[in-house]
Amino acid sequence: MSNAREKKRAKKMRNQPASVTLSSDCGPCHSGIQHHNGGSRSFQTPKQDLHPDSSQEFQQQRHQHQSPGPSYRKEQYFSKGQNRVERGRGRGGWRGGRQNVSQEMPKYVTASTFAQARAAEINAMLKAVTQKSSNSLVFQTLPRHMRRRAMSHNIKRLPRRLREIARKEAEKAVHQKKEHSKNKCRKARRRHVNLVVEFNRRQKKNIWLETHIWHAKRFHMVKKWGYCLGDRPTTKSYRACYRAMTKHCLLQDLSYYCCLELNGKEEELLKVLARMCSIDTGPTFAAVPCLSGRLQGSLVLYRVDRYPEDFLGPITFIWKPKAGSGITSETRQLWIWTHPSLKQDILTELKTVFQCSEPVETCSPEPIVTLLQEEKQTDVAMIVGKKRKREDNEGEKALPVKKIIGDGTRVPLQSYCWTSQTTGVVISDLTMEILRYRLIGPLSHCVLTEVLKTASIHTEMADGETELNNWWVENCKNSEKVSLHQRQEAIFELLQGISSPSEIAAGTILGLTVGDPRVNLPKKRSKAMPNPEKYQDNEKVRQLLLEGVPVECAHSFIWDQTICKNVTENKISEQDLNHMRGELLVPGSQLDLGPCESKIPILLVQQPGKVAGEDRPGWGSGWDIYLPKGWGMAFWIPFVYRGARVGGLQEGLKHSEYKRTPYVPNDFPDCPAGIQFAKELENILLEKFKRRPPAKRANYVKLGTLAPFLCPWGQLTRDWEVRNKALEESVVTSSADSKSCATERQVPCEPKPGLIIEDSQGDMMEEMTEIQNLCKEDGAATSSGFFVLRNRKLLKQLSASCRPTCGKGQRVRPASKLGQKEMTEDALLPIFKCYPRVLVWVSLSLLRKGSPELHAMICIPTQEDFLQLNKDQLFCGPKEPKHSDTFKHKILKLKERKKKKNNGKALESGASDALEAKAVEEPKELILGLWPDPLPDVTSHCSRILLGFVTQGDFSLAAGCGEALGFVNLTGLLHMLSSQPADKKGLVLLRTPASLQYRFARLNIEV
Amino acid sequence: MVRFKHRYLLCEIVSEDPRCRQCIDERAVGAAAKDAVARTHGDYGLACCSISFTVKYLNAYTGIVLLRCRKDFYRLLWSALPFVTYLENRNQRYSCFFNTLHVGGTIRTCQKFLIQYNRKQLLLLLHNCTSEEERQSIQKSVLSCCLKEVEEEQSQSGDDEDDCAETD
Repeated sequence: MSNAREKKRAKKMRNQPASVTLSSDCGPCHSGIQHHNGGSRSFQTPKQDLHPDSSQEFQQQRHQHQSPGPSYRKEQYFSKGQNRVERGRGRGGWRGGRQNVSQEMPKYVTASTFAQARAAEINAMLKAVTQKSSNSLVFQTLPRHMRRRAMSHNIKRLPRRLREIARKEAEKAVHQKKEHSKNKCRKARRRHVNLVVEFNRRQKKNIWLETHIWHAKRFHMVKKWGYCLGDRPTTKSYRACYRAMTKHCLLQDLSYYCCLELNGKEEELLKVLARMCSIDTGPTFAAVPCLSGRLQGSLVLYRVDRYPEDFLGPITFIWKPKAGSGITSETRQLWIWTHPSLKQDILTELKTVFQCSEPVETCSPEPIVTLLQEEKQTDVAMIVGKKRKREDNEGEKALPVKKIIGDGTRVPLQSYCWTSQTTGVVISDLTMEILRYRLIGPLSHCVLTEVLKTASIHTEMADGETELNNWWVENCKNSEKVSLHQRQEAIFELLQGISSPSEIAAGTILGLTVGDPRVNLPKKRSKAMPNPEKYQDNEKVRQLLLEGVPVECAHSFIWDQTICKNVTENKISEQDLNHMRGELLVPGSQLDLGPCESKIPILLVQQPGKVAGEDRPGWGSGWDIYLPKGWGMAFWIPFVYRGARVGGLQEGLKHSEYKRTPYVPNDFPDCPAGIQFAKELENILLEKFKRRPPAKRANYVKLGTLAPFLCPWGQLTRDWEVRNKALEESVVTSSADSKSCATERQVPCEPKPGLIIEDSQGDMMEEMTEIQNLCKEDGAATSSGFFVLRNRKLLKQLSASCRPTCGKGQRVRPASKLGQKEMTEDALLPIFKCYPRVLVWVSLSLLRKGSPELHAMICIPTQEDFLQLNKDQLFCGPKEPKHSDTFKHKILKLKERKKKKNNGKALESGASDALEAKAVEEPKELILGLWPDPLPDVTSHCSRILLGFVTQGDFSLAAGCGEALGFVNLTGLLHMLSSQPADKKGLVLLRTPASLQYRFARLNIEV
Repeated sequence: MVRFKHRYLLCEIVSEDPRCRQCIDERAVGAAAKDAVARTHGDYGLACCSISFTVKYLNAYTGIVLLRCRKDFYRLLWSALPFVTYLENRNQRYSCFFNTLHVGGTIRTCQKFLIQYNRKQLLLLLHNCTSEEERQSIQKSVLSCCLKEVEEEQSQSGDDEDDCAETD
């Protein structure tokens, strides 16, 4: 019987009288009475040790269905004391009282005892009859003819005797009801002015993107990183979004990405920024194509001079193209785009590095003024009550409420611009100043080219309005700039002839000035398809593919803040536009605004797809479009009308998973945001786990999963370090005499040039010594934590050594070009020993069945597993033997103790004090099915040695098999690789947390 | 809603010997009743009566027993009850007989009847008592069963709240 049912029954039976029998103390055979009650359950009463002179007691056998544990103990309690009366009082009905009857059965019954017994019985029966014992509501217990309409609503319709109980019940129900007050009628609430006020109020706490309302109608929204973001569409669209990614175009609003602008002398900037990143991890800020402003670069930032520890996060950056030619000391503008979860860390680090502490007089005072106005307005609206509504409205007319454009959470008087006295570098936080949309998919060209029409050239001002487009008119007067615009236009036209964005160099930047996209909005939603006529295989397209977009064309007016501000402020409102449409002579014809049409500077940046790995090159590539703020919806709707499917955060996650690129911040466990994310995720998962009844959830102790909700990277690396030391010692003791390799192992940090030269080339040696020096330097410091290996050279070597060297279906090894450069494991080992606590980011693809999940374990297969795999090609994988749950009885004990303690409190018995004290000593609550906190050795807990964990895993629709991304310990990985046969290199076992089945997977390191 | 209909027989065990009280327990009573049914109505009767036959309540001090039987066959049981002449428990056998007080359709009606019955009995006792001491003790018990109602209510309500806290 389940616990809940028992409880229900107990509740029902609690008022019913129990049978009363004479207890007999003679005869050992009758220590406990089997009590069959309705065949439901049997209950054994404990042995009663009565005092010899004690009175004859009732043995009350009651329906003890309510939680047998505590009542059992209660009985023990009472058997010592004589407080039977108390007990009878607790529950059930029969109150016998004590009777002074001698131990022998009396010869005759006295009237008084008889009367007492009767009286007690009357009491019990009275209780049973009068008290409501069913689980139904009071009025439900009434016979039909006494029921009245709306009884549950109005207590006075009940018979008077039941009113008291009904009142209590009604109170309970009222508590559950959610009350919400609407002080205004719907019509008033939906009035535009009030709506704007309300929206402005609601985006004070979390920033809304400009497409928020659009998203909120169609997406599950989540509050993350201080933003309200669309998580996933409410419609079923998992596969449709994937198809859009691979075949058409998926649109994402990435405006929540933060832009930090650095302004300063190029030398200064480069000098300082070089300290924050390392050449080992890839091209830095100073990479030539990026520095010229031709390409967008991406890199990983570290705290100053702290490489390889103290990771800050991955960023992308764009240099503003040089206006003049070849002057290095020129003032340059640099945009650093970061994920919002990383922004604060990076910003503070940048500020300290550049010594930018002084807030600058705000560079854009206008939005702040509007904000101030807006705030006053809302205040007024708040204070003024209903009665003064009229006046309030008039006030609003005088100062119209403005929609918040940009970051609504900003404090008006605070500055978001900092400068340094010494270097003159200015750092400004452009969060929400520049919008960013991402188009993913091969047809994103088509969508872009259909939506965007390059601005036409006007040399005369639009009449009447001086503000609007004056920058553009001035620009058009300059013939040089006009020609530049025309070249940009030509290149943009050429894009139509390219079949996929992956054909263009990664990170290509194209600046443009486009007209209002709302003007040529199609009447119906259509799907942009490539135009076959445009596919001319002409010289120009080939040249574009070969040489990329020239540097000049990367120029855009979006870099100029005043122009951006102008564009934002002089946007023709939707209302006006519709009005003008309505006034057209031929309804539905193309609207021609002429010189009044807004010109919007934008930036198109190619987003590289899958670059690493062998399969599906260029998958998931697309374009990012950067817009000045305020123009979000104006561009969004045309994109959607051209057939772009919109995805949320989940789609972004899947995109990066299929692309096998790390996702921010899930896949960066060594940066502060990643740690934070992992903690939050653990809490969410734990809460979810605890919500299920213990019998219905996985017992992770039995499954041998130590950490199902949080990857214990620190402990993993530490355990491997310990393990490695133990291994070394055993090696040393076994073959200390002969092996030179062993001696090398003993002194791993000492460079042995002679030995290395044997294995590798000269340049290799240089690098190794360099690394080893580096290792020596921070060997002591690394002892605190772990970090992720991001040295590209080392990763390349590792990646080469992970591949199977020979076997069936011999793959052409792309690593063979490394040739002699590749190092043997023996040589690799000592280097990596210097990195004792290093994780490596790996991608895994399953050989057969199975889809890995979050936090799945990556384990090392044993020799027997390989033997079985050789024998049987369909061998799925070994199984983990079931573990025993040693904590179960502890938890039960603790529970009992707790209950006892509660009872003890009620009784005020001093005996349980000791127990209480013990219970207090227990440090943390044990949860059934989870390991309590100090975890044992994570590596050797299961039958296969643990190597690492999966951080993203799912069935990959792109690859058609289960794929996972995760981290493994470097020491463990090398240990595994050195012991594996050549044709089975890089095979690991994967086990999801809630399963005992291991599955074979191939491990790849993609650089 | 469809339910199985039962009949509840509220009986009183009458015995000369006060020691009989100690062998009043559920098993003994059940066995005695079944035995009587078997003797009077044979195997068929026993099988009929055994369906959902239980002793729902008994009180050794007052000798009250509440038996449950299916409605279709309660006559078999009822007619067999007079043939119970003894109760046997732990190899001790005391003669007694069953006096059926009430036949009810629900436990509740039986309980209500029992209250009335017990009240009557108490009054009877009060009338027939011989000594002053006895009279006082009986009066006390009568008062107790009336006064305690109020008290009971209070403790009950306290219990109620506890229970709710547990189940919620």
